[in-house]
Amino acid sequence: MNAPTDRDLILRARRGDAEAYGDLVARHQTSVFNVCYRILHNRADAEDLAQETFIRALDRLHTFDLEREFSPWIRRVAANLCLNHIESHKPSAPLDEERDEDKTQSPGEQVEVKERSEQIRSALASLPPHYRLVVELRHYQELSYDEIANELDIPLSDVKSHLFRARKLLVEKLHAPD
Amino acid sequence: MHLTDEQLNEYLDNETANRAEIETHLDSCDECAARLSALQALFTDLDSLPEVTLPRDIAARFRPRPSLAPQLPHWLTLTATLQAAAALVALIVAIPFFSIMLPKVEMPSFTTWFFEIQSLWTSWLDTLSNLALSPIEGFQLPNYQFANLPTYPVELSTLFIALAIVSIFWIFGNGMLLRNNRS
Repeated sequence: MNAPTDRDLILRARRGDAEAYGDLVARHQTSVFNVCYRILHNRADAEDLAQETFIRALDRLHTFDLEREFSPWIRRVAANLCLNHIESHKPSAPLDEERDEDKTQSPGEQVEVKERSEQIRSALASLPPHYRLVVELRHYQELSYDEIANELDIPLSDVKSHLFRARKLLVEKLHAPD
Repeated sequence: MHLTDEQLNEYLDNETANRAEIETHLDSCDECAARLSALQALFTDLDSLPEVTLPRDIAARFRPRPSLAPQLPHWLTLTATLQAAAALVALIVAIPFFSIMLPKVEMPSFTTWFFEIQSLWTSWLDTLSNLALSPIEGFQLPNYQFANLPTYPVELSTLFIALAIVSIFWIFGNGMLLRNNRS
């Protein structure tokens, strides 16, 4: 028997089926958590915001357009929540050390990847919140300039300036000559 | 004349209509080509960022929690429901028979009890006032008489109707409890 689609789960969840919504959350929780972690660079906050994202989504589920894909929508909800969180809170905990590990690599390679990932995450975390958000939407959620402008309700010129300045800062941090 | 940062970014994002023009310039300008390479390296870095594993299962929070009360087997719930329904039907059917077959019981009404207590209270006050106000001439509390107070006949059928109403509430309440246990 085929696994139910996101649409099926949403329809069941709208009728009050908590198990269906649990399945939907299980399916998307890792990608939502990663959105939050890329923007916040703190695991505890990212977990809280990922959970908050699904609580908000449940409240708005009856207004969700079933013709759209659920995954991009929920990740954009997460990104916006993270931006609001950054704007309304000062960081409550120190930024995390990178803990990613790829078991297929040798220990030496793992250390190298871990260090590089940490550099990238630290560089992202050092950007102003709005810059972080446009980088997330462009690079990880693959939205066009127009879609980002529409999503964030800002002019197209602001999207471009935030994105290009963010990249310039990232290049300076990550590719600066030693 | 070099390409602007905006042109390079838009080129890599596929958001420009002048791709051919930009590519022609890049072929002949090492400086712009180097700037483009630096940007491409950044894109590669960002793409290479691994997904991290979620430390805990968020989905568990949204799934229904198992009830703390022991779940009744389905057959037992069904039997209890059927028994309750049968008892209710039997009670409704029995009420007319009881009302015919059993004798009437005469009970004093609440009004009778109320007036008797009031009479007792008044006479007690009267005695008290006679003791306290005896020096005042001409003062006398009114003396009420409550003879032949009416009685209120309560038939057994009335009692059974009340019992039936209570039973309905009881069955409804238990039904709600069972339903909550199930969810």
